[in-house]
Amino acid sequence: MSIKFSSDIPTDREVVLGILNNSVEALNKLYLAYFPMVLQFILNNSGDEDDAKDVYQEAIIVLYNKVRSGNFELSSKLKTYIYSVSRRIWLKKLTQQSKKTNNIADFEDVLAVDDNVELHEEKDMQFDKMKVALDSLGEPCKTIIQDFYIHNHSMQEICEKFGYTNTDNAKTQKYKCLQRLKKLFFQS
Amino acid sequence: MRNEIELEAIIEDYLNGKLTAEERVAFEQLRSNDPVVDHKVVAHKVFLESMAQYAQVVKLREQMDAAHSQIDVATLAESLRPHPSKLVKLWRNNRSAVAIAASFILLAMVSLYSIQSNNKQAGTFEAMSKDMAKIRSTQNTLIRDIKTRQANSSNNNNNNARFGGTGFAISGNGYIVTNYHVVRGADSVYVQNSNGSYKAKSFYSDPVNDIAILKISDKRFESLPALPYTMKRGSSGIGESVFTLGFPKDDIVLGDGYVSSRNGINGDTLAYQVAIPVNPGNSGGPLLDNSGNVVGIINGKENKTDGATFAVKSKYIMEALNAIPQDSLSRKVSYGKKSSLRGLKRNKQVQKMQDYVFMIKVYNNN
Repeated sequence: MSIKFSSDIPTDREVVLGILNNSVEALNKLYLAYFPMVLQFILNNSGDEDDAKDVYQEAIIVLYNKVRSGNFELSSKLKTYIYSVSRRIWLKKLTQQSKKTNNIADFEDVLAVDDNVELHEEKDMQFDKMKVALDSLGEPCKTIIQDFYIHNHSMQEICEKFGYTNTDNAKTQKYKCLQRLKKLFFQS
Repeated sequence: MRNEIELEAIIEDYLNGKLTAEERVAFEQLRSNDPVVDHKVVAHKVFLESMAQYAQVVKLREQMDAAHSQIDVATLAESLRPHPSKLVKLWRNNRSAVAIAASFILLAMVSLYSIQSNNKQAGTFEAMSKDMAKIRSTQNTLIRDIKTRQANSSNNNNNNARFGGTGFAISGNGYIVTNYHVVRGADSVYVQNSNGSYKAKSFYSDPVNDIAILKISDKRFESLPALPYTMKRGSSGIGESVFTLGFPKDDIVLGDGYVSSRNGINGDTLAYQVAIPVNPGNSGGPLLDNSGNVVGIINGKENKTDGATFAVKSKYIMEALNAIPQDSLSRKVSYGKKSSLRGLKRNKQVQKMQDYVFMIKVYNNN
């Protein structure tokens, strides 16, 4: 198998439009197109396949946030952008694991993306806070909240799913769960 | 309690923009009057945003995991893993730099080569070579490889390499001049004209000028009448018409042309360059001008250029002749005199001199 980055590389424009339209297909193409590049970088800089997956997914999340925030200018190739972000994230992880970060073997051009990555780190902390709060919420609260806020189910559906006698009961239950979650979220 | 739930629902609807204009105005009124409500609105806003962001990332991760499962990570990782060999690593890391360097070197070589080939005669002269394989492949030396014939096998039963060339008489009593490269390393030499085949032995050789003189040692050989041609004293100019007789095949062949350069290959002053088509077997043939003066002896051609044949100048043939004891030559070729071929038509000239041109057959026993 030769080192080629998928025969079906989407154009940068295609990807940006796909992100704005929440296109699953565009994400798929994007993901398949540049994963080998990041995998090569991580493998050659003391990481393994799982590290590559984590770093690559984080880099794509950074890209998504950037594009959705509306101030994404395609000043370079998307490939270079993803590579640079992945590289930055991986170097940070290496530093945290106090592994040496000199002698980095590079395979692509590198952009300065520190701001993007720092912004991402803030959001990532928020994400982790929410995750921890949800996990410590316990059932059935966690599922009710997730169904309502993430999967956008109506109170009627939740009422039926959990066997509440009427929606008022369900609403009360959801209210209690929400209060607890908020408390956990804001206190942590 | 009920009120609190109601309030929370209204805040959520407010933040999601689901309230009617009237309710909205009423709620904003309430919010500005009651700091506790206002605080709840702000807090809930932050919470909802975090939740939305969380939901988005969770969804994105799910989709990416789906995409990830399509990749054969193990195989891909194998091909991308750092290679144990440093050379391969170096190549992978610096692929583009290496490619650029390589193309520069290539470009430099191509331009150097073209400059050189513009300035220099590209061809090489290899007539001296007697190696059979070389003769066969390049055909640039003019000794002919005679096919094994049954007729000759009585003389020589083994299948050793045999070469052929041309030579011509320089005296009536059997002295023949040819190229040194024709007879070099020969074990036995036979010469043949229309009267018959005679054994000959090497009498004198001059490797520098590529000249050899043979002496017919066969008793059956009868002396030849006076030579029809003479040696030219001066040198020939460019454009002078010349012809040669030789044995590229078993019959004598006439080649016609002109002197194309005063010097031979790479400025070799010993030789002329002549435009005459010659073939293996022409080596050692006489080169004559229209008046029947020998101006040179064919000894090779350039392997890259058509019709660039080289001939040793007659001056060096005379030097060779002077090395022979003068009393052993009877009816020797005259020098600078009028030749009896002068003024004759080409066919008459050939007729008159063809008995004096010999096919030379060389046998190697080793």
